[in-house]
Amino acid sequence: MGQRAYRVELDTPDGRRSFDCGEGEHIWNAAHTDSVLLPAICHQGRCLTCSGRLLEGTVEHDHPDAYFPEDEAESYVLLCRAMPRSEVRIRTHQEWEMRNHRIARDLPAPYA
Amino acid sequence: MATAETVQPGDVTQRVGVEVIRARGVDVDKLIKMLVANAAEFASTYYYYTILRMNLAGHEDYKEICEDARLEDRAHWELIVPRIYELGGHLPNDLKEFHDQAGCRAAKLPDPPTAVNILTLLLESERCAIRSWSAVCDMTFGKDPGTYDLAAWILNEEIEHEAWFIELLAHERDKKSIPSGHFRRGEPGEAPYSKNRGFYNP
Repeated sequence: MGQRAYRVELDTPDGRRSFDCGEGEHIWNAAHTDSVLLPAICHQGRCLTCSGRLLEGTVEHDHPDAYFPEDEAESYVLLCRAMPRSEVRIRTHQEWEMRNHRIARDLPAPYA
Repeated sequence: MATAETVQPGDVTQRVGVEVIRARGVDVDKLIKMLVANAAEFASTYYYYTILRMNLAGHEDYKEICEDARLEDRAHWELIVPRIYELGGHLPNDLKEFHDQAGCRAAKLPDPPTAVNILTLLLESERCAIRSWSAVCDMTFGKDPGTYDLAAWILNEEIEHEAWFIELLAHERDKKSIPSGHFRRGEPGEAPYSKNRGFYNP
């Protein structure tokens, strides 16, 4: 039996893109499969390069190295580890916004 | 803002070596942050790989390969730290602050510490290093030959390390042969591409 898939809509600097993403698939990977190239380095949910902001819907993170309740409260997501749990809309390219958010809360902000 | 041409004779507040690469389009501040983050990974890796190595008893071949990776990551640390200072940057004075800057997951001993779990961890650590040094190469290619050369040497060895751990994990977990092309280092942690200053760092 195939896994359930959800519609993912990304607001990128190059415009809006949408594609399907399986519930067990990382959104970054699904975007890549659909030729949407997003920034990322570690692919471990740590470096914040892939950061996005959840505008609608819910996601679950797959064992991110560092993801804090404060991040979730501000709707920041790590696309390299985030999996959709509903249809979602996400603003991409939020790495510096998320680093500044982390710095303001005295939380780790790699590359900042 | 100074340029390579306008740095005044005797001025120790500006660096021609920085301004020439800035003029070629390198975001020097961002580059320094990336190098500090990558240096933090090496410091962390050297520490945690020491523990991983200690827990590979009974797998002496794996232990020796882990030792090569451990020592070569130390060589990478010593290769890149001087470059941070040459560019006008510095290491954080606080070790926790430094550790938090690392862009890759700390290679903490897995639970349970089986050979498969340790090799999996080693493999993913090397993969993260490849990604982070590829980013430095992309940022400096054709613009900052000094940093690029260092990053490329390091990247070559991280790619070798990945191949080693693919080979060992495939053997240990999957009973498969996926040769890495590994030959024994002339000495443990020889770092054939990146070991600089052999006299200073014997």
